[in-house]
Amino acid sequence: MKRTYLHPLPLRVWHWVNALVVALLLVTGIRLRVAGIPDLPPHSTALLIHRCAGWAMVASSVLWLIYSLASGHLGRHYKLTRRDIKGICSQTKFYIWSIFKGEENPFRPSPGEKFNPLQKLAYGSVMCILTPVLVVTGLAFSGVPIVRGYMLLWNMAKPLNAVHVIGAYLFALYLVVHVYMATLGKTPFSHIKAMIVGYEEEPVASEGEDRMQHLMPGSRPETGSADV
Amino acid sequence: MDNHHDMPDPQEGVPLPSLLFSRRQILKLGGISIAAAAALAPVLARSAAKPLIIMEKAHGIVIADPATCVGCGRCELACTEFNEGKAAPSLSRIKVDRNINFGPDALLAWREGQGAWGSGLIVQDLCKQCPHPVPCANICPEDAIAVAPSSGARMINVEKCTGCRICLKACPWEMISFDRDSRKATKCHLCNGKPKCVEACPAESLSYVPWRDLTGKIPPRVSTVARPLGDRAAACFECHLPGQRKSASLDTGVFPGGAKPGVFSSRPGSTSSWIDRLGTIFLPVVGLLVLVHGAVRAVVKR
Repeated sequence: MKRTYLHPLPLRVWHWVNALVVALLLVTGIRLRVAGIPDLPPHSTALLIHRCAGWAMVASSVLWLIYSLASGHLGRHYKLTRRDIKGICSQTKFYIWSIFKGEENPFRPSPGEKFNPLQKLAYGSVMCILTPVLVVTGLAFSGVPIVRGYMLLWNMAKPLNAVHVIGAYLFALYLVVHVYMATLGKTPFSHIKAMIVGYEEEPVASEGEDRMQHLMPGSRPETGSADV
Repeated sequence: MDNHHDMPDPQEGVPLPSLLFSRRQILKLGGISIAAAAALAPVLARSAAKPLIIMEKAHGIVIADPATCVGCGRCELACTEFNEGKAAPSLSRIKVDRNINFGPDALLAWREGQGAWGSGLIVQDLCKQCPHPVPCANICPEDAIAVAPSSGARMINVEKCTGCRICLKACPWEMISFDRDSRKATKCHLCNGKPKCVEACPAESLSYVPWRDLTGKIPPRVSTVARPLGDRAAACFECHLPGQRKSASLDTGVFPGGAKPGVFSSRPGSTSSWIDRLGTIFLPVVGLLVLVHGAVRAVVKR
């Protein structure tokens, strides 16, 4: 078995805190959107939670952005390379066909390249488009007097609300797939465990590992693979 | 009780009960009804001992117009001066206050509640001289609240009142006060048909009118902000949105598209239900795809 250090501690903490915030926002958001769901908190409570969690989401997104830019995480793991674009087809084929035949995943994550091309697309669009859109439209509704004034002035309440809700539905769609894909590891919980402890365990690497090695010059020693 | 069920008489041409119920079921039903009656007995006994008090309607009622009230409080002084011989607004039967609350949801309601931070409107609370059933009169264990002959008002008999304060809790409008000096409850009795508060009001905000049921005829106590137009709107924007006068398209009105200040809505169902329709289609579809994917994987693996 090899243990690969994939997820640095700050990102792991961020991931789970963010997961909690997103869950709160989704549940209270549903409550605010749909009237009369008995088992959820009343409208006023849901609104309060949604507001607080919204501000937490603002903080969470900003912290993620700062960390990702400063650590090079964003540039290293999210940028689509030419090879990625070529790999989209094989990766897609794997998920809709080869996986049923028990074939190996054509992509093998390493500290230098964590995400396969489809993950880059999905995470990139969620973190760089969807989340900012949700956060910004949410901020417009946050009740900050000047923002609120401009929104009323330009008659933006309905369009922004529509954008916010569409974004939320897209986020929910992403979340369904994300949670399912998280169970596609060697065992259903291996990816989830990796997101908690940081190390992904897997059988001895094939040549895919070596293919990646040259892409990660100067990787930190503790993030390298280690035989266990 | 229910003895006639036990022995249905076929001679009377009513064979239905014996067809529907066996003897055992009838005995059972009888037993249940006896038990139920036994359980209800204390309740029934109490209501039998104290029948519901039904009063004739009051002759008149004091009504207030919040739009003209200036909140000077002279009505409160006149009320307590006449009744207690002193200035004690806390005892006043008319209660004038500003609506600065957040509604029943308190702080949680914040901006969604009753008005924005409360409308700030001056409101007057008065005894409604409730028609039947009169909550305060019916709850009083001493039957101390009765109709005043001169005005038909519901009036507290200070001889009978023991100061238990249960009427303070019974009144849905919180219109009964408790006099700590005399240890008695006190409420509006329309001053023998010549309410002193009405006489004292300098703004002609109060009037004494024949009693009628105003339920559903009183507009809500939330000030509605009218949409300002033209130059007046320009003045609004100078303070509230400095530097943005030009975007406000002042010649056509204030808010392009007809948005009203303070009435913007992000309430459920208010916008774009097509979004929800799409969402409720796509979410299950994707969920189903995921389930199918997982199921196929499980089957193939086996």
